[in-house]
Amino acid sequence: MPEAILELKGLSKSFGGLLAVTDLSFTAEKGAIIGLIGPNGAGKTTVFNVVAGFLPPSAGEVLLEGKNLVGLKPHAITRKGVARTFQIVKPFRNLSVLENVTLAAFLRFPLRRQAEAEASRILEKVGLKEKIRMSANDLTLVDQKRLEIARALATGPKLLLLDEPMGGLNATEVDLATRLITDICADGVTIVWVEHVLRAIMNTSHRVIVINYGAKIADGTPQEVVENADVIAAYLGKRAKPDAAD
Amino acid sequence: METLIQSIVSGVLTGSLYAMIGVGLTIVFGVMRIINMAHGDMVMLGMYGAFWAHVAWKIDPFLSIVLCVPAGFVGGVLLYRFLLRKIVPGGELNTLLYTAGLSLFVANLALLIWTGDYRTIKLPYAIMPLRPMGISVPIPLAIAFVMAILLTAALYWFLVHTDTGRAIRATSQEPEAASLMGISVGRISMITFGLGTALACGAGVLLAPSLYLYPTVGEILVAKCFVIVVLGGLGSVPGAIAGGLLLGLAESLGAVYVSVPYKDAIGFVLFLLVLLFKPAGLFGEGKS
Amino acid sequence: MKLILVPVGLAALVVAPWVVTDPFYVHLMIMVLMWTVLGASWNVLGGFAGQVSFGHSAFLGAGAYTTMILYLNLGISPWFGIVLGGVAAAVIALPIGLICFRLRGPYFALSTMAVAEIIRLVALNWESLTNGPVGLLITTLPPVTIAGSPLDWESKVPFYYIVAALAVGSLAAVAVLARSRLGAYLLAVRDDIDTAEAIGINTVQVRVSALALSAFLAGVGGGFYAMYLRYVDPDAVFSIALSVEMVFIAVVGGLTTVMGPLIGAVFLVSLGETFRTHFLTGHLIFYGLFMMVAIRYMPEGIWGWLRLLVANRLGVRNA
Repeated sequence: MPEAILELKGLSKSFGGLLAVTDLSFTAEKGAIIGLIGPNGAGKTTVFNVVAGFLPPSAGEVLLEGKNLVGLKPHAITRKGVARTFQIVKPFRNLSVLENVTLAAFLRFPLRRQAEAEASRILEKVGLKEKIRMSANDLTLVDQKRLEIARALATGPKLLLLDEPMGGLNATEVDLATRLITDICADGVTIVWVEHVLRAIMNTSHRVIVINYGAKIADGTPQEVVENADVIAAYLGKRAKPDAAD
Repeated sequence: METLIQSIVSGVLTGSLYAMIGVGLTIVFGVMRIINMAHGDMVMLGMYGAFWAHVAWKIDPFLSIVLCVPAGFVGGVLLYRFLLRKIVPGGELNTLLYTAGLSLFVANLALLIWTGDYRTIKLPYAIMPLRPMGISVPIPLAIAFVMAILLTAALYWFLVHTDTGRAIRATSQEPEAASLMGISVGRISMITFGLGTALACGAGVLLAPSLYLYPTVGEILVAKCFVIVVLGGLGSVPGAIAGGLLLGLAESLGAVYVSVPYKDAIGFVLFLLVLLFKPAGLFGEGKS
Repeated sequence: MKLILVPVGLAALVVAPWVVTDPFYVHLMIMVLMWTVLGASWNVLGGFAGQVSFGHSAFLGAGAYTTMILYLNLGISPWFGIVLGGVAAAVIALPIGLICFRLRGPYFALSTMAVAEIIRLVALNWESLTNGPVGLLITTLPPVTIAGSPLDWESKVPFYYIVAALAVGSLAAVAVLARSRLGAYLLAVRDDIDTAEAIGINTVQVRVSALALSAFLAGVGGGFYAMYLRYVDPDAVFSIALSVEMVFIAVVGGLTTVMGPLIGAVFLVSLGETFRTHFLTGHLIFYGLFMMVAIRYMPEGIWGWLRLLVANRLGVRNA
């Protein structure tokens, strides 16, 4: 059993009175693809924001290879090897595709020439080689998502957090993206992947964690999770009961 | 004790005019998130409007205000419609830079046309101050105070009790929701900017008999306005009123009781503290 | 293209005072070059890093006063004084950054204005240090001999060469910055601070670095200002007007470009100074007008617009 690269212990996050994440614990083993799914508003992006350092947790720990990340600033967490993409893509719109990724590559390559070379290499890998001189603003959504991933990869992460990369993609594009993600995993990067397009995530993940109302309701292989009664209920809803919140 | 009351009275009198200027600035920010660096220059234009009306046609400023305020409104509407409207989508910083440019342009144009000589308006009935209960109250300032209160109250009534006023408040709180409710945000923006300019011009007219007039007076005024508006909470009308009165009082009391040298710095220090620690203003009513 | 322009430009710069001898024009060139330094300084923070400051006169003034005080009280030659002025400006930039960088966008801009005003008031009142509103005056500049003959400080020519060197140095520094990692990081911070953090950029450190460099250059410009005009007082040197002029020169010239400040200075300062000799007042009207035109029609500034024009003519599609 490969060792865990990421471990969440009792993670909780509340916003005022709203409990977004409740006592969440799970591990991600090195080199695996871990899927994180759940109905809308279940708290998935909040988990990412906490892990990546954009929000402080209300309680709990986030351990990267045994060291607690809580309290570190986002840039420090990225330096430790955690990269993320955003659900709504955030390219640097005024800069070119190459410049976007070079910026991230500068983390490991202080000289511009080296950083640009590394950026080019990664852009080729994600399929954006022809467009490196284009302004990021002029890319299609699919390409902007590729750029987002390329930029995250350029920081040389051990752990990649993908926040709904498939949003807005058609079936063919989903397949291409899935292939890219498995390629990245094959290169040794551990991936934690939040997604709504279940087909993609179920087919590629080694393990899937299901969250509902901020709490974990299932944790197992895709097969196990799909057959889990609580999961089915969460997605399809229970019959209306007097005390059931809706 | 008498000095204290005197300072308080003076402070409230000037504060009312600061409040009027501040309200104009804050509604423009609230609705359109425009930080209008040229607001002070509109006060200046009001001042000079009153001056020339007095010099050329012998019209008392407190009468010419009847013309100047609507003229200010129209000027503001035109300014927004033909110049600012295209700039606003570029973002708050761009708009700030643009209005800074406008401010320099207007102030320097005024310098060229009217020269930098200090002007004053001398009103025959204003030579001796009133002395209710021994407190000295300059007549022009007293009239200005009353009119400022009336105008500000009128605006307040307008915002609360008319449809357009309510539309303005709605747009200020949630522009998207307002537009979904059928409010024409473009039209409301124009009206609001016109109102803001009208208030500024009006305040200028009211202040004219009490201050020295020079074309770059806008520079100092706008700095004070920002202090007022930030203290009161950006976008909040009651906040701007309170902020204006506070500043008037602080300046007046400060001049008497605090060592004269650093008293001007107090406002700026307060301004920084509020921006840093209570960005929604001292009363928490504004938006940050 | 650039390889030809740079040596030609430098040669023209060196030769200019021999060709143009009218003192007014030499003064004009000195002003243009001084404002190039100041515009370049603002551009580092406001252009590249995207942090619009309306309080840069604080650094100009710090440099000016430091240079003056060191010379008048300690006899330190302005050669070193100007550099030390830059250092002093960079030093006061640090607490200013600590305070103001907690704010973003227009609120940052307003806070810098407030800080500069506070500094002006302190300078007005701290008479033992600054001589208050009376200001400081230089009557004799230190004697300097070059190649055996003493420099004539009454002529403007020595000042011209000093400021030309400062201008070239500033633009060169910015050019190096633009190619470097820090320069790239500044552009990222300008675009989106949170995204920059997400790719490992320590945005606080980056902003502070930009501020320190920007303040240093402004301080150097201020030091020269003090030596050239031989007089400083708080209202002249810590004024909002000077801060605003720096902003305008950088924006009108072209933000995030190296040459922008030079172009902006050439335009605005030439127009302004020429206008001022005829009309004595109101010369800033051009600054206002050009700013409005630039924001509306040429957001890349005059230099950026020219570059786009040339690029389009040459058929080059560039990001």
